[in-house]
Amino acid sequence: MDSLGLIREFLQDRLGVEPVRVLSEAPLNSLGVDSLMMLELIFEFEDRFGITLSKNLKSPKTVGEMAALMDRLRSEQG
Amino acid sequence: MGQRRVAITGLGLISPYGGDLSDFFAHLLAGESAVRFLRTDDIPRPLAIPFVSCTAFDANTSLGRPLAGTMDRFAQLGTAAAFNAWEDAGLSRGQPAEDRENWGVAWGTALGGTLAYEKGYKELWQKGRERVSPLSVILGMNNAANAHISIQLGLGGVSMSHTVACASSAIAIGEAFRRVRSGEAPVMLTGGSDAPQAYGVARAWEALRVMASGDEVTSPQACRPYSANRTGLVLGEGGAALVLEDWEHAIARGARIHAEMVGYGTSCDHSHLVRPEVAGQVRALNLALADAGLTTDDIGYVNAHGTATAEGDPVEIAALKVVFGERSTCLPVSGTKSMHGHQLGAAGAIEAIVTVLALREQAIPPTAHLVELDPACAGVDHVTTARHRQPLRAALSNSFAFGGSNAVLAFRALS
Repeated sequence: MDSLGLIREFLQDRLGVEPVRVLSEAPLNSLGVDSLMMLELIFEFEDRFGITLSKNLKSPKTVGEMAALMDRLRSEQG
Repeated sequence: MGQRRVAITGLGLISPYGGDLSDFFAHLLAGESAVRFLRTDDIPRPLAIPFVSCTAFDANTSLGRPLAGTMDRFAQLGTAAAFNAWEDAGLSRGQPAEDRENWGVAWGTALGGTLAYEKGYKELWQKGRERVSPLSVILGMNNAANAHISIQLGLGGVSMSHTVACASSAIAIGEAFRRVRSGEAPVMLTGGSDAPQAYGVARAWEALRVMASGDEVTSPQACRPYSANRTGLVLGEGGAALVLEDWEHAIARGARIHAEMVGYGTSCDHSHLVRPEVAGQVRALNLALADAGLTTDDIGYVNAHGTATAEGDPVEIAALKVVFGERSTCLPVSGTKSMHGHQLGAAGAIEAIVTVLALREQAIPPTAHLVELDPACAGVDHVTTARHRQPLRAALSNSFAFGGSNAVLAFRALS
């Protein structure tokens, strides 16, 4: 599964967000991702892709920024 | 500001029978037990105990998946019960027309989010992982239920949790009562919830040797307060909530009033962690009566703590006999845990609701399975089958906790 797919799966499961709404330019907070949900999402990424995110990570604002960050980390740490 | 009268305008619970409040009370009047045999899939030794589950309660359906996903089961049960009580009170959950900045929540829980913590322990110690869910702290914290309730109902006043073992929610209700009566808060949402089916928690209660035994066939009759053959208490999960409201505030908005809360007495035995004392319970009973301005002649029913433990039952009856004197032999008493089990931090709220419904319906639910009375528990009028059309003016609900904390709530029927 790619990063965008994981974000879509997570948001559908936890928040009931239809995958078609999870577009690259969509702000994460507009989809219901608050600070706690972001922690859960990061946890999910780390678990599923075996990567580690820095505690000082600057939170991405959009779905696209999140997916790009995860793709980069998977490439670097994979 | 003088003392205000306190109306009970909302009642809500998650019923182990699966239905609404009326259905719950009808089951109790019928003497029907909600206790069932619980066998878990825990490894290596599954739990196999009599237990009361709210099997019909699905948190995702009741609360919605996004909200339910941020809660341990105890907070799910509590928040859903609070929503039911709020709706029963005719109060809105959306943008309120009135200012709710001084409306508050007082909630009881003995255990808090033990299922969330236990899930973390399993991750660490069973699965060998190095970390737990990032939501573990907010799922597990004891004030999670009252925090969620305040947020969801938009209540800006006090939001506090009371952890006093089996008296947790009785004390929460009492403290909420004082805030409404003093005029500090016009409305308080109060009650309690617990989900004690965590493996380690249930094993801990087993180790105390106070749990009733039972199997697939005998579990429904496992909890037998005051019986000569009682073997102990039956744990259960649950949530129950009441809306306490300034009487004039309730009248002004045309709210239906179930009954009046008139008194609260609390004390500590200050003698032993688990052995109850007559003197401490007597103090709580007398304080509640004095606080309510009631005499023993006014009391037509006592919903007893009645857990069915060897030590607890006779001490409670002895305390009632001291307080009610010669009248105790005609004092109707029942232990409804025989049917709905012991929900620890929710028990006081469930039994407060039972007591209020008894006053409202003028009907007393029985102690189920009481066939042969333990002579040590004699001396009051044990109600063994439902009594209808009773002229009840006032009633008490007892909750007595490990640690020696005692709480007695007093209610009065509408005249």
